[in-house]
Amino acid sequence: MTSPRQRLNLSGLLTVAALLLLWQGIVAARVIELQYLPAPTEIATAALSLLADGQLLDATAHTLSATVVGWLLALVVGGALGVVLGTWRPARALVAPTVDVLRTLPVVALVPIAVLLLGFSTTMEITVAAWAAAWPIVVNTMGGVAAVHPRLREVAATLHFTPARRIWSIVLPAAAPLVVVGARLGLSISLIVTVIAEMIGNPMGLGHELVQMQQALRPDAMFAAMLVIGMLGVLLNSALLSVSARVGVRGRS
Amino acid sequence: MKAAGYTCRDLSVTLSGPAGERSILDGVTLDIAQGEIIVIVGRSGTGKTTLLRALGGLVLPSSGTLQLGGRDIDGPPTEVVMVFQDYAHALLPWRTVRRNVALGLEGSNKHTRAERDELVDSALEVVGLSARAEDRPWQLSGGMQQRVQIARALALQPRVLLMDEPFGALDAMTKASLQDELLAVQGRTSATIVFITHDIEEAIYLADRVMVIDGAPGRITYDIVVDLPRPRDQLKTKELPRYLALRRLVHEAVTGGLDD
Repeated sequence: MTSPRQRLNLSGLLTVAALLLLWQGIVAARVIELQYLPAPTEIATAALSLLADGQLLDATAHTLSATVVGWLLALVVGGALGVVLGTWRPARALVAPTVDVLRTLPVVALVPIAVLLLGFSTTMEITVAAWAAAWPIVVNTMGGVAAVHPRLREVAATLHFTPARRIWSIVLPAAAPLVVVGARLGLSISLIVTVIAEMIGNPMGLGHELVQMQQALRPDAMFAAMLVIGMLGVLLNSALLSVSARVGVRGRS
Repeated sequence: MKAAGYTCRDLSVTLSGPAGERSILDGVTLDIAQGEIIVIVGRSGTGKTTLLRALGGLVLPSSGTLQLGGRDIDGPPTEVVMVFQDYAHALLPWRTVRRNVALGLEGSNKHTRAERDELVDSALEVVGLSARAEDRPWQLSGGMQQRVQIARALALQPRVLLMDEPFGALDAMTKASLQDELLAVQGRTSATIVFITHDIEEAIYLADRVMVIDGAPGRITYDIVVDLPRPRDQLKTKELPRYLALRRLVHEAVTGGLDD
């Protein structure tokens, strides 16, 4: 069992530093002729100046909140659907093929449709993020709930638990390791889809920043935005992991 | 307080499995008075566990009547608690021992928080696990885990206690002391106990009556009154000539050995 606080991976960080150094060297020595490839130092400078004028922070705040709101919606709706489908076998038989079709639809293709339906709005952005994030949550919650040992259901029955208490005290904790897996997948998908929606539909946030800087021929700023998106992903994932470790859920492998 | 005696007339249970319908119990008739200790013995596959699950409302009769306190059983009755054989699946691995024992008490408004804590503490005391209250079940040995499950049942102070080979995983010493604790608890609460075991000595030591179940589908073939004095004692009771005679009788009833 590992401690929830991940230890600093020093050799891994050294690899990152070495790669950055190599990149800097390639750009400085003009080994590869790419007109718009900025050096890491230029990216850092761009990031600092964008941070200083607040533009990058605003964009980050927008993307972060849209990602989290979309994910929370997915967690509530997808989790509830997963519990129902996992508990009630006839429902699973009825709905499973539909779920399989819907969850394999490429969500990128849905964004233009969502724009038409909901407009160039944050609502549209959150809706597609929630839609995409919900499926791994539905599927994993369903699997986790269906796999709860029948004896635990009988324990709940002999202790005269109400359905709500059975779900809250027995089914969800027993299914928690898989629910957390679904939640993690959902969170990273929510971030990806949020950024895509910002690039195509909603002119806000880091996705829009990326497109705008492309049109302004500012590759350094584009890389800076991309860096922030990557860091958001890492931060969100480790935040979720530490929260789930705190409430006592561990991935029991 | 409601009477907690069972009336069972011509009970049949048929379960559907992968191999189709299977008749597990057929024509089981028995009466269990409130406060009685009934021990069911029999060979494997004769439907002992199914009978216990029927008494606990976890499987429903296919035909016949099965009543507790004069009411048909159509689901797990209140004030009946079951101790399962496979303790490892019946405990919640994410909860501490203490919170496992408290599980059944949490939902009801019958007790204040202080009363609940007291019930949990005394149940842990009875099974000798007070020192392990903050451990998780998987940190305990198999026998200790089974004692957690027993404590969870005792904490509820049930009118009826259904126990499926509860002491099977325990060493001889622990087994003997828990047998005595069970009898002591029963003496205080006068709960009805239905107990399954493979251990004939355990059956006679605990029981008011030993029921032998045999055949496939199973039925009660013998109903033997254990007329040994109470309170019972691990040494003195087991030295009584009547105890030895009963042991022979039950042994023959279980093995069907009329020839020796």
